[in-house]
Amino acid sequence: MSFLAFFFIVVSLLSFVVAQLVLKKAMEFSAKSGLHNSRFISLISIGIALMTISFFLTLGLLQRFDLSYLYPFQGLSVMIITLMAAMMLKEKLNLRLTIGALLITAGIVLVSLS
Amino acid sequence: MQNRPSGFGNPWLQLTLSVLCVFVSEFLLKRGATDVAEPDSAFSWTGINGLTSPLVWWAILLIIASFISWLYVLRYIPIAVAYPLSRVVDVLVPLGCWIFLGEFISTLRWCGIALVVIGLALVAKPVAQIEERL
Repeated sequence: MSFLAFFFIVVSLLSFVVAQLVLKKAMEFSAKSGLHNSRFISLISIGIALMTISFFLTLGLLQRFDLSYLYPFQGLSVMIITLMAAMMLKEKLNLRLTIGALLITAGIVLVSLS
Repeated sequence: MQNRPSGFGNPWLQLTLSVLCVFVSEFLLKRGATDVAEPDSAFSWTGINGLTSPLVWWAILLIIASFISWLYVLRYIPIAVAYPLSRVVDVLVPLGCWIFLGEFISTLRWCGIALVVIGLALVAKPVAQIEERL
């Protein structure tokens, strides 16, 4: 795998993960302050823009690699989102949730490799 | 999870609906894309010719619906719980391919499916207990 391919896989994964966290932040914010405020609108726009970037990068990657090669990286998103939610959104993470996320990640990788 | 609405607004119901929409959309996309496939045309690599299939449009509607209910889910459920649970679709799709399309599932893939199911149970069980106490 070339450095460029690896770079795009990582950027696509990270933009997807960050998009989810930003959307979560936006929806949390809307629960407090409603939908008609600039903070919510800017957060949700950033989230959707990042999702779009990730979508087109994935399309480009799919044109060059097999789905079974790319999908395991998608599986990693479970672990990364769980950890980032704990670090950045201060969500409570216990051993059970961490092991659960690890097993789901491992399972997705196995399903797509086989 | 404060002030959680019940009925159709129940976030767990919405999470289920969101996952079901993604699940059904995958099959509509597969069927729709195969129906209108023109593998000889270089243009078809962009996937844009898929838009000529009505099934693909139904799939797009379902994807939009799943995104809206997903946003709703995010409002009430911690993402460290909701996102791992939403990946149940990674098990449902291969199972659906096995049941509806007669596709083959290898032993290794069955092992992967089992791991995901155990992981899902671990993530979901404390949630179920919290729900019981409410």
